[in-house]
Amino acid sequence: MSTLLPAIGFGLVTASILAVAGVGFTLQFGVTNILNLAYGDIMTAAAFVAYLVTSAGISVWLALAAGGAFGAVFSVLLNRALYTPFVRHGTRLFGMIIVTIAVSLIVQNSMLAIFGANFFSLNMPRPASVHIAGMVFTTIQLAIIGVAVVAMLLIHLLLRYTKLGKAMRATATDPDLARNCGIATDRVIDLAWAISGALCGLAGVILVMNLTAFTDTTGAQFLIPIIAVAVLGGIGQPYGAMLGALVIGIVSELAAAVISPDYKNVVAFVILVMVLLARPQGILSEIATRKEVAA
Amino acid sequence: MRIAVTALGAALALLAVGACGSSSGGGSGSASSTLVVGEFNPFSGPDASFGPEMVGGCVPAVRLINASGGVLGHKLNCVQEDTRGDPADAVPAAQKMMATETSLIGVLGPSSDEALATAPLLSQGHVPMFVDTGQAAFDHTTDAYFWRITPADDVKGYALALWAHKAGYTRAAAVFGNDAGAQSDVPTLVRAFTRLGGTIVYNKPFALDQSSYRTEIENMLAAHPQVIFTEVDPQTGATFLSELQQLHGLIPVIGTEVTLQAPWLKAVTGAIGASAMARYFEGMQPYAPPSGPAWQAYNRSLLASGSQVPKPSQWSSDPYSMTYYDAVNVMALAMIAAKSTSPAVFNSDAMKVTEPGAGKTVVDTFAAGKAALQAGQQIQYVGAGGPIVFNRWHNSTGAFEAAKSVKGNLALVGSVSAAQIAAISR
Repeated sequence: MSTLLPAIGFGLVTASILAVAGVGFTLQFGVTNILNLAYGDIMTAAAFVAYLVTSAGISVWLALAAGGAFGAVFSVLLNRALYTPFVRHGTRLFGMIIVTIAVSLIVQNSMLAIFGANFFSLNMPRPASVHIAGMVFTTIQLAIIGVAVVAMLLIHLLLRYTKLGKAMRATATDPDLARNCGIATDRVIDLAWAISGALCGLAGVILVMNLTAFTDTTGAQFLIPIIAVAVLGGIGQPYGAMLGALVIGIVSELAAAVISPDYKNVVAFVILVMVLLARPQGILSEIATRKEVAA
Repeated sequence: MRIAVTALGAALALLAVGACGSSSGGGSGSASSTLVVGEFNPFSGPDASFGPEMVGGCVPAVRLINASGGVLGHKLNCVQEDTRGDPADAVPAAQKMMATETSLIGVLGPSSDEALATAPLLSQGHVPMFVDTGQAAFDHTTDAYFWRITPADDVKGYALALWAHKAGYTRAAAVFGNDAGAQSDVPTLVRAFTRLGGTIVYNKPFALDQSSYRTEIENMLAAHPQVIFTEVDPQTGATFLSELQQLHGLIPVIGTEVTLQAPWLKAVTGAIGASAMARYFEGMQPYAPPSGPAWQAYNRSLLASGSQVPKPSQWSSDPYSMTYYDAVNVMALAMIAAKSTSPAVFNSDAMKVTEPGAGKTVVDTFAAGKAALQAGQQIQYVGAGGPIVFNRWHNSTGAFEAAKSVKGNLALVGSVSAAQIAAISR
C-alpha cells in the first residue's frame, strides 16, 4: 500500500501529459481523418521553440504559450500546404500515413540539422516537492496536472457548448452531411488543426518540462503511447482519449510499483489489447465504428 | 568512346598493380621494404570518430620508430582501412587488406562494430590485432593473435565496485539501461561489490527514455541505498536524477565512462544543476595519466605529427590514442625480440616484452627498448597508457580514474589500479 498511493500520483502526471497529447491527436484525426504520424515531431519542434524562449531569459510559462502557438500555426500551415493538396488529389488513408511519415522525417532531420545531435534543457526554476494525501509531486508536476485539467475543461466546453464545437462534432461524424447542412467544413477543419496543433505544442513543452532533458527524437519516442491512448479511448473521441490517458498513465505506474519497472509498458499495452479484443472500437465508440479504423 | 574508356581502365589497372608491387615486399621479405600497420576501424559512418583517434596513436609511434632506425632494417607505415562500422563492409575490407598489404605486420582494431565478424578472419590470416572492442565475448578468448590493451566493457563493473568500496559505501543501487551494453557491466559489478562486503540492494534494468522514473525511484529508495551505480543514456539519466532530486534529494552517483561523455554531462547538468553535479556525481573511465616519460615521448611525437594528424593536441590525453601508440611499439619491440618480421613468429613475443619480471629492464620508449634488446637484455615496456599486463587470454585491464564535472570540466579525484582490478576479477 505504501507504494501504491505514490504510484497513482505519479500516474496522474504521466496521464496529464498523455491526455493533452492524446486529445489533440484524436481530435485532429476525428475531424480530418488524417492519422498524423508527424505529431510527435511537432511536439519536439514546439519544445525547441520553448527552449529558445527560455534561453532568452523569458519565463517558462510564456514559453509554454509560445510552444502552443507554434504548434497551432505549424499544424494549420502543414495541413494547408501539404496534407490538403494530397487529399484533394485523392490520396486515401494509407497514402496519407506515408505522407505523414515523410513529414515526420523531414521535421526530425531539420531539427537535427539546426540544433545538432545533443541534449537540451528548458531554463526554468528548480521546483520544490509537495506532499498531498500520501502522494508526492513537484511544483512543476502540479502545474502540468493543472495545465492538463484546464485544457481538458476548455475542450469539453468547446465541444459541448459552442457552435464551433457542435460543428466540429458534426464534421467528425459525417463531413458531407455537415456541409449540406450549411457548416463551413473547411473552416472547421482549419480550426480543428489549430486547436489540435495547440494541444500538440502544449504537450511537447510539458513533456520536456517533466523530462528535463530532450533531443530531436523525444517527441517521436512518445508517439506510441499517444496512439495507444487514442486507440484505447476510441480513435476520434476526445473524451475517450482522456479516459485512455488515465488508464494507461496509472496502470503503467502501478505495474512498475507492484510487479517490476520491466513490465511498465507491457502491462499497459496488454490492457490495451484486451480492451480492444472486447471492444474493437475502443472504450467510447461513436466515431471509430463509423470510420472503421479500429477494426 | 567505349574503347577509350576501356583502355584508360586497363592502364589504371596496370598502374595499380605496379603500385602494389612497389609498395609491397612481404611481411618477412626484403630488408628495405616498409612494414604496414593497419588502422582497421570505422573512418566513416556513425562511429567515424574512432578512426582519427587511432591515427592519433599510430602516426606518433611510427614516427619515433622510424626515427630510431626502424625495425630490423624496415621502416613502418600506418595504413587506414575503413570498416565503416559495419560487418558487411568490414569483412571484405579485412580480406582486401590481407590480400593487398603483403607487408602487413598487424592491425589496430577491430572495434566493437566489427570485431565478432572480422577477428576470426584476421586470426586465420595470422595477423596480430590490438583491438579496441570492449566486448565481453573476448574476455576468455583463446585466439593467439588477439590482444586487448583497453579494458573490456565488463571490467567497468569491477572499477565501480572498487571505487564505491574505497569511499566506504556498503549498500548500492544498480541503475543500468536495459540495453545489452549497459547490462554487460552488471554481473561483474554485483560480483565485485558483494565480494568487497557490500550489498546491491536494488538492481532493475531501466527501460530507456520513459516520461518518468518516479515509481522506480520510490522502489529504489525503499531499499535505502547509499550510492547509485549507473549507465543509462543522457535523456534517461537527466529524467531519473532530476526526479530523484526533486522528490527526495540526490544521493551519491558513480557512473561508467558513458556518463563522462559530453552529451551525458550536458543533459544531466542541465537537469540537476552544476553544483549538484559537482557534489553528487563521479564517473569512472580508463586511466591513462598524461604524465611520465612514456607519455612525454608520445605527446612530443604527436604534436610534431601535425601534417598527418589533424589537430594533434586533441589526442594528447586520449587514453585510446595512447594505447594505440603503445600497441605499435609492442609489435615493433616484439619483432626485434623475435628477430623476425613474420607475425607468426613474433606474435607471442608481445607478451614477453610487456610482462614484468625480475631482472628485466623497464623501458618507456621504442628506442630504449630496441637498445636494451640489442644489448641482450630482457625488457618490460611501460607505455604512455601505463604498464601493460596481459593475462592468459591476452587481455590487459589497465587502471581506471574517477572524475567529476566541475564548472564544465572534468577533474580527476582518484584512481583504481590495474592490480586492484586484477585481484578482484580473479
